[in-house]
Amino acid sequence: MPLKHFLFVIVLFISFIQTVNAAQRHPDPDGCFSCHALEGLDYIDKNGVLRSASIDKQHYYSALHGSVPCKDCHRRIREYPHKVENGEVDCANSCHVEEPSEGEPYTHKAVVKEYKDSVHGNGWYKGLTGGNRFREAKEAPVASCRFCHGNELYIREAELPKFKEAFDHLDSECGSCHQGEIWLGQFGGHILRRFIGSRWNKNDHNKMCNGCHADHERMAKVEQKNEKTGKKEKTGPRFILASDSYATTLHGRLLETNVMQGASCIDCHAPKGFRHGVLRDEKSDASTHTDNLAETCAQSDCHAYATHPLNHRFVKTDLHDIDMIPVNNSIVPRDQSRLESGWVKALIALSPIIVILGGGSLLWWLFGGKKKSVTFSILGGDAFQEKMIGRKPKSKVKKKVHQKKKPTATLTRKEAEDE
Amino acid sequence: MIKAIEAIKAIPNPQKYRYAVIMASCTLFFSPFLFLPGLVDNPDLCGKVCIRRFYLFFPGMSPADVSGKMQVAAIGVYILSLILITTFFFGRMWCGYICPVGGLPELVSRTFSDKWKIEYRALPQVPIRYGYFSVYLALMPMLGISACTLCNFITIPRIFDAFSGNPKGLAFALSAVGLVNLALLFLLGFFATKGRAYCQFLCPVGALDGLVNRLGAKLRFTRRIRVERNRCTGCNICARNCMTGSIKMVDRIAVVDQLSCMSCHECVDVCDWGAIDWRAAPLDEDPKRKKKGVDFHPQPQWQAVYVSPPLSKNK
Ligand code: SF4
Ligand code: SF4
Ligand code: SF4
Repeated sequence: MPLKHFLFVIVLFISFIQTVNAAQRHPDPDGCFSCHALEGLDYIDKNGVLRSASIDKQHYYSALHGSVPCKDCHRRIREYPHKVENGEVDCANSCHVEEPSEGEPYTHKAVVKEYKDSVHGNGWYKGLTGGNRFREAKEAPVASCRFCHGNELYIREAELPKFKEAFDHLDSECGSCHQGEIWLGQFGGHILRRFIGSRWNKNDHNKMCNGCHADHERMAKVEQKNEKTGKKEKTGPRFILASDSYATTLHGRLLETNVMQGASCIDCHAPKGFRHGVLRDEKSDASTHTDNLAETCAQSDCHAYATHPLNHRFVKTDLHDIDMIPVNNSIVPRDQSRLESGWVKALIALSPIIVILGGGSLLWWLFGGKKKSVTFSILGGDAFQEKMIGRKPKSKVKKKVHQKKKPTATLTRKEAEDE
Repeated sequence: MIKAIEAIKAIPNPQKYRYAVIMASCTLFFSPFLFLPGLVDNPDLCGKVCIRRFYLFFPGMSPADVSGKMQVAAIGVYILSLILITTFFFGRMWCGYICPVGGLPELVSRTFSDKWKIEYRALPQVPIRYGYFSVYLALMPMLGISACTLCNFITIPRIFDAFSGNPKGLAFALSAVGLVNLALLFLLGFFATKGRAYCQFLCPVGALDGLVNRLGAKLRFTRRIRVERNRCTGCNICARNCMTGSIKMVDRIAVVDQLSCMSCHECVDVCDWGAIDWRAAPLDEDPKRKKKGVDFHPQPQWQAVYVSPPLSKNK
């Protein structure tokens, strides 16, 4: 503790000398930046990891929440210096945006509830904020809010001119009904941003999901509860390689080349609600449950016909087909079930023929075939002669005709040459 | 080595050019250069340039669904229309001269001995092709079998990918589906006589193209491979050389199946009698078979007896 006090004094002292360059978006009413704006504000945490508590002002002010005072979210901090744990944020709490008609602060409770019920919801840390970013980034099997909702720009750079233009008309267009500072100043911007369009496109969604799901090692550690036995079990290759198998589908390929008609991960796995409710296929209200698939596919522009009764097999098309990814994948535990597929059986049936034909070709190429005449295939050659050319294949004719007709042939040849 | 040079020398000259064009289109369409798909930022022949799947039929489809599908593969729609239009007027030029997917197996197959191959050309290709085509168009989509499962348009580009060091290519080649596709490429391509069995039986583009080819052949001004029947001696060398098995000797006269012919001109090049050619309309609309002894394109006597193949042009 004395060390911290000492630090604090030094920090205060230096902060007076510090000049602030970033465009300040709020006056920092709680004075947090007196310390946190300092460079090199490092400490060693419980696990002995060196952590930095410095905040880059420029970075912060340009971030999504750059206009929100620190204590609006970090509510448990009441004194300096504060405990590390008190810095944690509970995303389910109410927040700075006020719903003007009722005057109630906005809250993410509904979103958090949806998320908590989802596969990702039994988070490793209460309040879904994630405590230790390092541990979360490396090991957490399920993601907290922050994992996906980074402090990125609220409005994309490319959309900013559009937003500004709309914002200029805010007074005249929205303002005729919704008056007052809160409506227009705070809420208006939020609504407007959504109006301009979603900030993320499908590729951003996929990138977000792939942040974890494309990491085979991490996915191999995931355990899922077996609904029958109630025990936690390791997942199989289907789960671990889900991102790879998706990439082989047309959905994945279209998005990869920026054709936005392809379906992203959450287009199928969380198409409804706040798009946080990813559920396991087995759950009856999952969008990917067999009973709901038709509806899920039909919601898009692409497969509106999916609900047609004759298409009921179509919607069962395997979009995470393990047969499409390399059989020999060292990360995934060898699973005998992968060898049971019809494809593998077909291969076993086809390969001997290839080997025989290939070997024959090679031997023929090396040693045989000196005879210069028309050759017909060993497989189907006779049928070709009979059906297409309309003559008896040599192999069948030989015995009978060989002696009789041969002189005629030489004779006719001569005749032909004479002519 | 000498054998190989001899074999190359024996190829009729126009065919050498055709092979060269196919090889060139392999470099244009496939990795590592990817010139043409690269123009539209596509890494292969799938997705927005796919010419195989936008016409799949699903029960209950509305016009909006159809146009949606066409939008997804907009470039593929343009390419296919272009292919079909040229086919209508000039015959199946794309298939015979450009398509690297049909051309590559053909070229590879031609380097092997004909003995160790499977001869598919005697099979009834038209019923098989259009039977599979209808299954492909309607039944497979309904059952949820992907159009990509037996697709050479993915297999061959992936092989090129693999050889040009793109991990995606290798990954596909090592998957169960990829391995079976590869096996089929061997059996219906490399080890098929003339290497065009995939075109004959499984290619939906070829099936559509064949229909248009047949339709156009009915008009007198369109160019097609046509037989001048009173010149045909029945020597059958064209039938033996036809890579698609389009020529059948009917009553000892070559008859071209316009659903399958790709206007590759090989038959034209090997015919000693100038009886088969790529031309506008048949010269003899109502041909009578000239009998032996009638002094019009006298038919050699041996034809009637017919034991050994005729003298070859390239002797
Ligand atoms: S695999 Fe074949 S059918 Fe599928 S997208 Fe590619 S080219 Fe089209
Ligand atoms: S039939 Fe298909 S694979 Fe064969 S050449 Fe034509 S388009 Fe290419
Ligand atoms: S009929 Fe002639 S042009 Fe047509 S595919 Fe056969 S060989 Fe080629």
